[in-house]
Amino acid sequence: MHKLWAVIRREFGARVRTKSFVVTTALGPLLMAGLMLAPALMSMKESSGRHIVIVDGGDRGLGQTAQTTLRTKFPEQYTLEVVVLPTGETERLESLISQIDTPSEGTSATIDGVVVLDPAMLADDRIAYYGSNVSSMSDMSDLRRGLREALMAERLTELGVNLTLVQEASRPLSLTTERVTDGKLTGESGEASFVLGYAMAFLLYMALLLYGVQVMSAVVEEKTNRLNEVLVSSLSPFELLFGKIIGVGSAALVQLGLWVGTAMVLTTFRAEIASVFGVPEAAVMAVPIPTVSPELLIVSLLFFTLGFLLYSSAYAAVGAMCNTMQETQQASLPVTLMVIVGFFTVFNVLGDPTGSMARTFSLIPMFAPLIVPVRYSLNPLGLGELVASALITLLGAIVVAWIAGRIYRVGILAHGKRPKIKELINWVRAG
Amino acid sequence: MSQSVISVDRVTKRFSGHTAVKELSLDVPQGAVFGLLGPNGAGKTTTIRMIMDIIRPDEGRVTLFGGAGTGRDLSARIGFLPEERGLYPKMQVLGQLAFLAEIKGLSHKDAMRSGGEWLERLGLGEWAEKKIEDLSKGMQQKVQFIGTLMHDPDLVILDEPFSGLDPVNTKVMKDVVVDFARRGKTVVFSTHIMEQAERMCDHIVIIARGEKVVDGQLADIKSNYGKSHLALEFVSNREQAAPILQDPKLFLSVDDYGVSAEGEMAPGVDGDTVLRALVNAGVGLSRFEVVEPSLQKIFIAEVGDSAGTAAREPGDA
Repeated sequence: MHKLWAVIRREFGARVRTKSFVVTTALGPLLMAGLMLAPALMSMKESSGRHIVIVDGGDRGLGQTAQTTLRTKFPEQYTLEVVVLPTGETERLESLISQIDTPSEGTSATIDGVVVLDPAMLADDRIAYYGSNVSSMSDMSDLRRGLREALMAERLTELGVNLTLVQEASRPLSLTTERVTDGKLTGESGEASFVLGYAMAFLLYMALLLYGVQVMSAVVEEKTNRLNEVLVSSLSPFELLFGKIIGVGSAALVQLGLWVGTAMVLTTFRAEIASVFGVPEAAVMAVPIPTVSPELLIVSLLFFTLGFLLYSSAYAAVGAMCNTMQETQQASLPVTLMVIVGFFTVFNVLGDPTGSMARTFSLIPMFAPLIVPVRYSLNPLGLGELVASALITLLGAIVVAWIAGRIYRVGILAHGKRPKIKELINWVRAG
Repeated sequence: MSQSVISVDRVTKRFSGHTAVKELSLDVPQGAVFGLLGPNGAGKTTTIRMIMDIIRPDEGRVTLFGGAGTGRDLSARIGFLPEERGLYPKMQVLGQLAFLAEIKGLSHKDAMRSGGEWLERLGLGEWAEKKIEDLSKGMQQKVQFIGTLMHDPDLVILDEPFSGLDPVNTKVMKDVVVDFARRGKTVVFSTHIMEQAERMCDHIVIIARGEKVVDGQLADIKSNYGKSHLALEFVSNREQAAPILQDPKLFLSVDDYGVSAEGEMAPGVDGDTVLRALVNAGVGLSRFEVVEPSLQKIFIAEVGDSAGTAAREPGDA
């Protein structure tokens, strides 16, 4: 135990003392704060207002209707101006277009775009728009919606329909979603659960890959620096392997713990943080942020630990087979692919957390570490299923760790060509 | 004879097709400075790895300190410097040493203290906080050496300890090894440099092609070869000596080094005869001595030239 402890402490120290560990640990919370504030900051920028000129070529006051509709729908985004311009006065239209995006004397502000309501084109159900912001999806969709509504009102009036009646009948509907867990209301929107499930999957996926590869590089490092014989004369290969896995795993947990901790602080005090950056509180509160239950944390921690045991020992075995980091890139592909397959299955699971695919993949040791926490975040599994999944994953992790340990034992002292599958089997079987 | 610290009993190790070590037996007595000699690829490293339980023999048995424990079980009592050795480049010198001692069972506190003392002793005190990668190669070798010895083992096994060392570092480390032996500890080292073994060992085993060819006290081995060897050093008319040295009636074999030579005289020839012949030929001599054969001479006689081309051991870098 004393020896194992010495190895764990060395590995942990070797990870935590690196610059990259300090930098990534610090960058995580910054990124989170950014993700939280950015949408709010961006919506603030957009409300600066675009100057749009509506050129009405007809005589039915369609320009006025369009202006009113757009103004009611988007009170802050647009500054609207109507110019009545009979068809054929192309010169004035051209001069208007030439003013787009160019500050000119006489006019108070730059024009961002020109909407042309030409009767001939309207007969064809077409409206032209010239602007500097045509690539803005949201602007174009706003315009399209506003203009269509104005046109619809115009046509309905023409047909003699009472507009007030129509407006009354077509009042918009909003569907509010709330997640129900075990028959209890959670007070959480559907959007927030999706965010949580996705965030969990991404974090676990990154952590398994990142720290698994760290174990692998630690193994290769000892090989390239010719340390193994020195170590193996005092330590059993199993002490060496598990010391490494536990050491790197603890560093991983420290980093993840710091991230989760800061995420919790950030979300709790997001209103205060927002006010520091001058972001309106309401805008930040509108970003859906899920709540994390203690049960979910425990399940995630358990499955991350099992997954880490499984993947890091597989990565360690790959490291033991190779002599350089370059060699590992190719040799580790099968292991990395497993993690990636698990990650992509998550998207299916997010759509149908209790479906047959979700259930099946929860019972496969390679994928359960990613799938089960995501499922749990969406819709907690029954205790029976959870225990079954945990046991199968544990069993799988032990089998993989055992095989990896035997490959590791031989591999760390072998130099030269990478072993073929047949030789690997001999390594595993060797007494 | 005192108790054997290491007892190797008819061990055989095969690697995919070739036999690296074949029915090798040897006993290392308590307190000996024991040389394990042989040409490259003779099986020295494989033998040492089997002694340390890094690889298992296919046949035969290794016993350490007369008990059942393996090299790893007894690592607290053994200092082992493998042929393939290295350090963590990013670790601090003292932290690295402490780790090496802790995995042999020392507490963190004792390991730090012992590491600090050793660094002072070998003149590396100021480097304790530096990273290994910032040290020169010679300093790294000293650190490695400290890592082998700092837990004060009863048995020290060194595989090619002096390879790649400059004369100054060789002397520093030789002094440390001699000091260990003087304190009644057992030292085993392998080498293919005979001069070193000759100066330090009291007991040697020579192996070639995985088999033992010579085993015993160095003094006994030499006296068995008899005082029929001549050591010569020339000052002038060196070329006049050649016909005499090549005369099969006078010499069985001669190692000619140019300014010096060592030869085994033919049976019935005595030193006087050779001396007279050399003086008559006008050869100027600065040394003429009837001696025991050098270890180098014994080694070449026993191993022969063919062993130099033996297959490499796996892991021999």
